Amino acid sequence: MLEFFRSSAVRVALAFVLVTTAATTAVFGLVYFRIGEANEARNRLILETEAAKSANRSVEELRSAFEVRLTNDLRRIDYAALFDANHKFMFGNIDVLLPIPVDGTSHFIAATHVPGSINQLEPAIFVARERPDGTVMLLGRSLLETLAFRRIVQSALAAGLAPMLLLALAIGAYFARRSSRRLTAIHDAIGRIMKGDTDLRLPVGSRHDPIATISRDVNLMLDEIGRLLVQLKGVGDNIAHDLRSPLAVVHAQLERGLESSSDEQLRAVTKQALAHIDKAMLTVAALLRLADVEYGPKSRNFQSIDLSAICADLFEFYEPLAESKSIKMTLETHSPVQMLGDGDLMREAVSNLIGNAIKFTPENGAVSISVIREDGLPVVRVRDSGIGVEPAERDKIFQRFYRTSSGHRVPGSGLGLSITAAIANLHEFDLRFNDNNPGAVFEMIGRRK
Amino acid sequence: MNKAENRPQTIVLVEDETEMAEEIKGELESKGYLVRIASIAQAADAARVGDAAMMIMDRIVFGEDSLNTLEVLRKEGVKVPVLVISALSSVDEKVKGLKAGGDDYLTKPFAMVELSARVEAMLRRLDDVRTTKLHVGDLEMDLIEKTVHRGGTRIDLLPREFRLLEYFLRHPGRVITRAMLLQEVWQYHFSLETNVVDVHISNLRKKIDTKGTPSLIVNIRGAGFMLNAHA
Repeated sequence: MLEFFRSSAVRVALAFVLVTTAATTAVFGLVYFRIGEANEARNRLILETEAAKSANRSVEELRSAFEVRLTNDLRRIDYAALFDANHKFMFGNIDVLLPIPVDGTSHFIAATHVPGSINQLEPAIFVARERPDGTVMLLGRSLLETLAFRRIVQSALAAGLAPMLLLALAIGAYFARRSSRRLTAIHDAIGRIMKGDTDLRLPVGSRHDPIATISRDVNLMLDEIGRLLVQLKGVGDNIAHDLRSPLAVVHAQLERGLESSSDEQLRAVTKQALAHIDKAMLTVAALLRLADVEYGPKSRNFQSIDLSAICADLFEFYEPLAESKSIKMTLETHSPVQMLGDGDLMREAVSNLIGNAIKFTPENGAVSISVIREDGLPVVRVRDSGIGVEPAERDKIFQRFYRTSSGHRVPGSGLGLSITAAIANLHEFDLRFNDNNPGAVFEMIGRRK
Repeated sequence: MNKAENRPQTIVLVEDETEMAEEIKGELESKGYLVRIASIAQAADAARVGDAAMMIMDRIVFGEDSLNTLEVLRKEGVKVPVLVISALSSVDEKVKGLKAGGDDYLTKPFAMVELSARVEAMLRRLDDVRTTKLHVGDLEMDLIEKTVHRGGTRIDLLPREFRLLEYFLRHPGRVITRAMLLQEVWQYHFSLETNVVDVHISNLRKKIDTKGTPSLIVNIRGAGFMLNAHA
């Protein structure tokens, strides 16, 4: 039951009931007071006009007029009396001058009993007015009718409110029950997913309401997480595999070192072991870098960067390396190629492409870099006359740790192209491979949006 | 050499991985420094009273981001050089570390030679005065004229070669790693799988070295390079 009241739907229902009650009461209240007010104002006007009209009549005229009024015209004047200059009763149906100012304006008397009077009064308004001859005339009108009307309004409000309250509560309870049943089902599903049943999805149902929408979104999220998990497992397997071999080598080397007889031999072994550990560390660093680019925050602060300037800078950086291999390296840029991105990352991506091109191109070869805008899209193209990529291996070069059969002798982590691809993807660029006959062309092209 | 090197300089190390801390301690003590392993709060106190020549801080220590403390120290005007080491590798994180007041940022895993090279460079940086000329042996670099002379002969260097040589001249007798050169001379914040830096060094050597004398820039195996300060 407590659970029931905690349900948000019930709370909404209760709030709804409260608000409806308040609004209805306000409307009724307004009607209640407005009616009373209007009625009273009309009565006051009648009384005051009547008093003013009667001021100039003779006492005898008044006496007969009062009799006629009180018998025939009950609806307008309920009380009428005349008092002499000493405020003593002369005639009429009230025997005592009421304690109100004698000023010709109307006053409300709530008292049902006036001291020194034998009359029982109803709540009424009265006007007392002095006539030219010094006598005082008192006229009054009962408010019983108005009050009765107010009571009717009151009881109508009470009678109407109760069923409305019950109805609102019932509707609220129904929706609460319904949504709590669905929420319980979702809760159970989440519990099972958390326990490891990762293929399970939240029940969506056939309705198109916020709960269904959220359930669908959560399911899509679970799909994506599942996909990433599988991918991560693959990466994990690769890491294990790629680190296992250097570790095994280091293990063997250190064992050999332990059995070595001379210090010199031990030093040699240690150095080899260190080199292998360095390679493993390089791999770990590259993997972390890759993870950072792929799964890092997507909201990097991209700025306007000039791809031409980045390539020119890298060209200058790599030129001595190309020269040392007698590779003819050329750069083709015409004008700034502006794009939105992370300068450090783009520099890293292009650096990998140029580094690879030089690495896989034999002496006296050629490497050309061009940065242009093609059909309005920024393009970086790195062309080499190197060993190229076997047709059978072309699908695999972008995979993590993939080293081409011909490139296996060249040192590297096997992650360079993966990092470049990830950076390209982050910038909404495509990384593509083409044949250069001989050699390879790698190009990064901005995606059309 | 300056007077300060006569007594060992104290390096305060904030690192919660005991083995890593002991390794760093051992490495730096072998280089003649005093190393004190401290909590973030202890390190901050040491920095405030001037008990530390420099600090090495792991980014996350016992679940706490040491950059917060570093920021506070910098706001208080504490100027002790700080090397931030961290397993957080992204460029963003590096920028964050440097913005918070770190003087250098090293990503785990790193080689110990890399760490000690950076420490030496940072402690050296303190002694830097605003000179207009740098010397080593009979080589002189004029930072205003942008010229280099060796034994009276003018050597023409490309701008990038000039920057490279300037970095060496500013850190004589210190081990300088390839990563440091990439970062400081070229402002490249990534690692390379090619030996480009070695080619640059070898080109520079060809220009500044004279026949019959040992090279000014020597290779340090497994670590990087060093400017021969006593040439």
